Amino acid sequence: MKFKRVASLLGALLVGAFLLAGCGSNSSNNNSSSNKPLTFWYAGDGDADVKPMIKQFTKKTGIKVKIQSIPWSQYNDKLLTAASSKSGPDVLLIGTTQIAQFASSNSLMDLSSTVKKDQNLAPSKYFSGSEKTTMYQGKYYAVPWYAETRVLYYRTDVLKAAGYNQAPKTWNQLYDAALKLSKRGKNMYGFNVDGSEPTFGFMFARQNGAQLMKNGKTQFNSSQMVSALNYLHKFIQNGASPKQDLKLTIAQSFGKDAPIPMFISGPWMMSSIKSDAGLKDSQWNVAELPKGKNNTSVMGGGDLAVFQYSKNKTNAIKLLKFLSKKQSQLTYYKQSDSMPTLKAAWNDSSLQSSKIQVFRKQLNHSQPMPAVKSWDEIGQNYLDVWQKIALQNANVQKSMNEFNKQSQTLIDK
Amino acid sequence: MGKEKLKKYIPYTFIFPALLLLLVFSLIPILVALVISFTGLDITGLGNWSTVKFTGLTNYIQLFNDPTFLQSIGNTIFYVVLGVPLVVFLSLTVAVMINLSQNKFFKTMRLLFYTPSITNTVAVAVVWSYIYNPSLGLLNEILGKIGIAPIGWLTDPNVAKISLIILAVWKAIGLNMLIFLAALQGIPRSLYEAAELDGANFWQQTLHITIPSMRFSIFFVTVTTIIGWFQFFDEPFVMTKGGPLNSTNSMALFVYQNGFQNSNFGYAAAGSFVMFAVIIIATLIQFKLQRKQRGEE
Repeated sequence: MKFKRVASLLGALLVGAFLLAGCGSNSSNNNSSSNKPLTFWYAGDGDADVKPMIKQFTKKTGIKVKIQSIPWSQYNDKLLTAASSKSGPDVLLIGTTQIAQFASSNSLMDLSSTVKKDQNLAPSKYFSGSEKTTMYQGKYYAVPWYAETRVLYYRTDVLKAAGYNQAPKTWNQLYDAALKLSKRGKNMYGFNVDGSEPTFGFMFARQNGAQLMKNGKTQFNSSQMVSALNYLHKFIQNGASPKQDLKLTIAQSFGKDAPIPMFISGPWMMSSIKSDAGLKDSQWNVAELPKGKNNTSVMGGGDLAVFQYSKNKTNAIKLLKFLSKKQSQLTYYKQSDSMPTLKAAWNDSSLQSSKIQVFRKQLNHSQPMPAVKSWDEIGQNYLDVWQKIALQNANVQKSMNEFNKQSQTLIDK
Repeated sequence: MGKEKLKKYIPYTFIFPALLLLLVFSLIPILVALVISFTGLDITGLGNWSTVKFTGLTNYIQLFNDPTFLQSIGNTIFYVVLGVPLVVFLSLTVAVMINLSQNKFFKTMRLLFYTPSITNTVAVAVVWSYIYNPSLGLLNEILGKIGIAPIGWLTDPNVAKISLIILAVWKAIGLNMLIFLAALQGIPRSLYEAAELDGANFWQQTLHITIPSMRFSIFFVTVTTIIGWFQFFDEPFVMTKGGPLNSTNSMALFVYQNGFQNSNFGYAAAGSFVMFAVIIIATLIQFKLQRKQRGEE
């Protein structure tokens, strides 16, 4: 009974795949269908976030667009079904981490020639980290649309009381501050080593100078990655960070006495803190990540792509170009707080608050996770390995040797 | 002659739509999944069938060398062994108690016990995550009041499984109680009257009349509960995602993670067939036992 939902999903996916495998290739982009409305898949609340923009597009070009809003939690399932049945949207929003998977399943149109021809889509106009998310095996399968990067959130008043007038700038400062803050009392910590974020360890490894992959070979047991994880483990061993997710709301972890006065997260936390933490604007701030050898953060966000089996690619590309304009990205930012990927858009007056500008600076030092189709699985496996380190004090070097071998097998498969 | 023939076929026309649905949405997908379980189908293969390789038994061999899968099997067995007897015993107890009287109080209790079953598991699981919350949950708050250190209901690998079982049992009691109640009300009153005349007390009546008369419904509830618990999915999916340290992962969740999160369709299909086999075997054993019991009497 409980499992039926999954079983029927799997069933529908596979049957759909078989039945439609044959008909998919019939699609062609003839212009006779140009009056047919385009379908745009959007993860999130499309009515609130993109409808006004889409209306403008219809007004300008006469092309009608149907927006289909799908919650992020179901988006991957939905894309899988589209990929296997070869029928789906014309234009779609796609998470930066999903590109490799769906490009490898041949579900996204190769946009390389479009990108080369159109000045407005030129890679140099975007943050290099954002641009990298759209690339798989040397070809462009999407254009960057909005950017997310991780920064350090901290409580200015709590840090000041502990003698820190500004956010830690280096790994050493971060550790010292965290340790000192954790001495404030029982159940008090300094920093959150995030055990449920699959990119966390990789991000610190990079900051320590590690290269995650070299010529298709994973490098997870390199001395730089191991010492980065040892550095993180030190926070947990010495009580500077909780061992696992405390399941606190932001008001409980960051508000009032702030049991966790420093943590690393993305721009989505801004509005949660403003609305839920009960803090004055001056009590907290964001800062660029503390430096190890560098302070590379994780680039994320969303890209726009055209579905490989769209019957209306000409119009689909028109919509994609329209949404990629600077003005559109700014409108989108105002509607949904999603930050623009176009560097030029950041000169706009709406993005000048000092907190937002911290993200702007961090975006220059942000890289996505490697574009490998099994990266999601590697990330999940990393979380398991990290749990063993954090909860059971497993040996880091040994764990990473094993994890490296396991990951390489996944990539070679 | 023609009428005879027509009569023979009419029943089939009635069940035809159901059969068709069963065929298209259950049997064919199961067959397809069986074929897929012998291949290395992943997301690349979805777009381009020519890249799908036939791998024979590799998936199955790999499964039984996969510590995560073996742990999931262990966890699932733990769920079944602990959960099923609890569900059967508790829902039978509740049913017998509720059947004691027909007045308003008992009717209200019936409603109360049934409510969890008609509530969406995901919603229930979200509320229970609050109850189990390590820092601000209801349970730890109460424990704190009586001076007991907080328990990591969902964060301690040794406790998390039990927390999930408590929730699932609480939720399963209602429906099974209703089945038992229906069976209880079908027992002829004359049996009890005769027993009373012979001087049997409540316990003797329960043991020698109620339980034997309900043999079939107990069997039914046991079978459906076992099957349901082998497919234990929603609770760990919503509340723990299989963690901490994989201690709450179930076979069904393992299949989901591999199929829908990691896109290893071949591997996931193989996993689901192992699960399928386990459930069939468990059910067959049950039927055997049932038949044996009947044969003896």
